[in-house]
Amino acid sequence: MSTVTAPALHASGLAVPGRLEAVSLDLGPGELVALVGPNGAGKSTLVQALAGLLPAEGLVQWNGQSLSRIAMAERGRQLAWVGQEAHFEFAFPVCEVVAQGRYAWGDDPSGVAEALAELDLTFLADRPVTRLSGGERHRVGLARALATGAPIQLWDEPVAQLDVRHALEVMRLARRLADGGSTVVVSLHDLRAAYRFDRVLVLDHGRLVGNGKPHDVLTATLIREVFRVEATFVESLVPELPCP
Amino acid sequence: MRPRVAVPLLLTLLALTFLASLAFGELRLSFGEVIGALTGGSDEVARTVVRDFRLPRALVGLAVGAALGASGVVMQAFFRNPLASPGLLGVSSGGALGAVAVLALGPMLGFAAATMWALPLASVVGAFAATGMVLMLAQRGAGTERLLLSGVALNALLGAGTSFLLTTTAGHFEVNAQILFWLMGGLESRSWEHVWMGVPAILVACLLLLPLGRAMDLLSLGEQSAQSLGVDVRRLRRQLIVLSTILTALATAVAGIVGFVGLVVPHVLRLAFGPDHRRLLPYSMLGGAIFLLACDLITRTFPLGLRLGVVTALIGGPFFLWLLRRPR
Repeated sequence: MSTVTAPALHASGLAVPGRLEAVSLDLGPGELVALVGPNGAGKSTLVQALAGLLPAEGLVQWNGQSLSRIAMAERGRQLAWVGQEAHFEFAFPVCEVVAQGRYAWGDDPSGVAEALAELDLTFLADRPVTRLSGGERHRVGLARALATGAPIQLWDEPVAQLDVRHALEVMRLARRLADGGSTVVVSLHDLRAAYRFDRVLVLDHGRLVGNGKPHDVLTATLIREVFRVEATFVESLVPELPCP
Repeated sequence: MRPRVAVPLLLTLLALTFLASLAFGELRLSFGEVIGALTGGSDEVARTVVRDFRLPRALVGLAVGAALGASGVVMQAFFRNPLASPGLLGVSSGGALGAVAVLALGPMLGFAAATMWALPLASVVGAFAATGMVLMLAQRGAGTERLLLSGVALNALLGAGTSFLLTTTAGHFEVNAQILFWLMGGLESRSWEHVWMGVPAILVACLLLLPLGRAMDLLSLGEQSAQSLGVDVRRLRRQLIVLSTILTALATAVAGIVGFVGLVVPHVLRLAFGPDHRRLLPYSMLGGAIFLLACDLITRTFPLGLRLGVVTALIGGPFFLWLLRRPR
């Protein structure tokens, strides 16, 4: 029964010169992870390095396998990444962009319709992506990542441009995916939302300065040191927050 | 327009322009005479005109158009910009400088007689040297922006070289006229040698491009997202650059500089049939061939000494402007 399972996402000494300093971490399957830190702390860099999208030093492993030994197509099946920017230069219909998530599966279309519905995009399915609002484009990016069916999901500020209802839905989706066994890493700025995650990672000046359960990590002291604000904790507010 | 109509429509237009290319000219032939000439019927004159002159010219035109159309699609997907064109990385200007150098310096060095092969060869060498230089300059991470800017700088540099050679030969009218003719592109007196020089390799490069369409879809919406979805972006970019360079270099080598095909054709077809590269690539090959053959027909119908490169721009430019102003 108690077989030792490899962490879904492992990094040791992960560094990008000038942007990220020797980050080591282990994230398990089924974990919902918040990544927080001030602007320029290296959140996007860490996410990209974990996804293998940046030349980086150190070791990254997905499900116990060294990233350098995972073939490109296999990477597309194991991990999905959603970038902060959602620019689309060519007028592909929304449904086709989401269907690109199935590239690594030989374009087998299963899960595309569900992904569209999950991100509330079904009614926009035939609209060219170039004619969407910023928030809608972000939802298209998320739907495409969801369509991959990848068990590791890395989302870089997915809710920054979303209205409150869609932001809530995205957070609930993240929780559902984690409950289903996926590892979901979400970078965000709303510290209050971060308390609802299983784990919080705090980056500051390219260093990982916090890693653990939200209440253990996001203390008034850490928030003062990293974000330079005085935090007041009002326990009763927490349940009403738009978070998973 | 529905993609379903695209293939029959484009193939019909291509067949028509191709047949017209064989029928029109100083000696006007009917379509029946053309078919006869191809199948061994008709009289001797018609056979000679069609087989030895018009057929190679039409085949070169078809291949050059297809090459430029395909190359345009590739550059636009590569740079994620619908305004990119085959010459963006200096391939055409490199080819031009190579050819102009042979034309300008050949007579001095005494190999003018060999220009039949020397010209295309020098053009291909120049084109590949230019791409090689851009790739070297932009190396190290070779970000798209850096590649683009290196291309802009190199284009200016190579253009300056061409202009320099053009002005130094200003006193030699013959040479100067030859250079100008070449710089404005053209298909006249293309022979079977030109066909063998360009067509097979263009065909192979086009066939190698076709399976890359799906990956190009993903690349055209972002390098990082394409890679995260399982595309080997580094490999794909290398393949695209090499194939697009080969296509543009060969087109330039056998027909001189022909502008606007690679920009307008993919753009029009994308608006008509959507941006899916699995379709856009073959459509642009067909569309480029149609456009080039049609423009070549105009150059020989109007006895003004119109050059092919001038006609493609004269038609392509206003059409493109109209397209941009059209409400979508």
